[in-house]
Amino acid sequence: MRPILLSGHERALTQVKYNKDGDIIFSVSKDHVVGAWFSYNGERLGTYHGHQGALWTVDVDPTTTFLATGGADNTMRLWNVQTGKLLKTWEFGSSIKRVEFSSDGSKLLGVTEKRTGHLSTIVVYDIVQDVDAEQTDEQSLRIVCDESKATVAGFSYGAKWIIAGHEDGSVSQYDVKGGELLDNVMVHEPDMPITDMQWAPDRTYFITASKDKTAKLISTKDLNVMKSYNTDTPLNSAAITPVKDYIILGGGQAAMDVTTTNARQGKFEARFYHKIFEEEIGRVRGHFGPLNYVAVHPLGTGYCSGGEDGYVRVHHFDKPYFDFMYEVEREQARM
Amino acid sequence: QDLIKKNSANRAVVEHRRRLLEEWLAWRASVEEELKAEGIVDALEAMNVGKGDDFKDGEEVIE
Repeated sequence: MRPILLSGHERALTQVKYNKDGDIIFSVSKDHVVGAWFSYNGERLGTYHGHQGALWTVDVDPTTTFLATGGADNTMRLWNVQTGKLLKTWEFGSSIKRVEFSSDGSKLLGVTEKRTGHLSTIVVYDIVQDVDAEQTDEQSLRIVCDESKATVAGFSYGAKWIIAGHEDGSVSQYDVKGGELLDNVMVHEPDMPITDMQWAPDRTYFITASKDKTAKLISTKDLNVMKSYNTDTPLNSAAITPVKDYIILGGGQAAMDVTTTNARQGKFEARFYHKIFEEEIGRVRGHFGPLNYVAVHPLGTGYCSGGEDGYVRVHHFDKPYFDFMYEVEREQARM
Repeated sequence: QDLIKKNSANRAVVEHRRRLLEEWLAWRASVEEELKAEGIVDALEAMNVGKGDDFKDGEEVIE
């Protein structure tokens, strides 16, 4: 099936997310606008207006009731998905780089940027599960990342821990109750920022992408690096596919560093690796600039990528994608 | 001679993959076990995505 092109954003995409059913894609861009699209045909469902600066991050709760966004206007916002109504604005002293709901939707975290006079923090709010209710101003948890600023963070399975990725290439595990730092492990090249962190469906492991041109598969419980995927380009995003044991990586050199040779070498491709064997198995072309984010359909039937070129490309996997198997996988399946 | 060399190299690759797959499946089994023991519902539910009917539904959408 041909990819569907979502054109509507006027500037670079920064994050794209499927809802839990996979029928809707939410997109955020440097153009200040949040977009919602039907994933199967690319039709635009609506937009959410209000942010006064570039948007860096978006997430949707498991019931597709609440949408959270954050950006350069130093606000984190909560929206009613269905009506587009702005329900809550939390203001900070610096921009919001990442928002993410816990898997049950009861908690929302935000990662704030480090800036003169402002520390890098991870803040948590308890979300009242009612669109008509007043949401709280009280943070149920605030973690200060004083060693190295956090770039990404999320809740583990059972919301036991908060896992964060840092600018210095390390990942941390924090206790979700008191916010104590339980563990910190250098998983990427030192001082190469972690650019993305995405969960496996059950959140017992996750994948990180880094400017060091690698992605790592890490266990949530002990932060053990289980797999490493090596590429030839700085990575902005990494996703784990359900159903098939693949991972998808996206990246590319920033526009100012790109020579025509580089562009021709085609680094603006989504790269597929076998999750267990760490081998590259395919690439998908299309974007004219770096891929800033890749997201996988929760049922593993497709993926979408948001590019520096301002487009979202939505792909539905074809039969060969599902049929492809290594010989040892066939053996295993027969057993 | 070359053919023998090639075959044994291939065999080594296959052996390596077989070991990686077994290691992975063993780790997954231990994780599943642990989640069951701790009663972590959200993770256990998520593990079943793609294993049953969900996957078939997904395939129909593609056709």
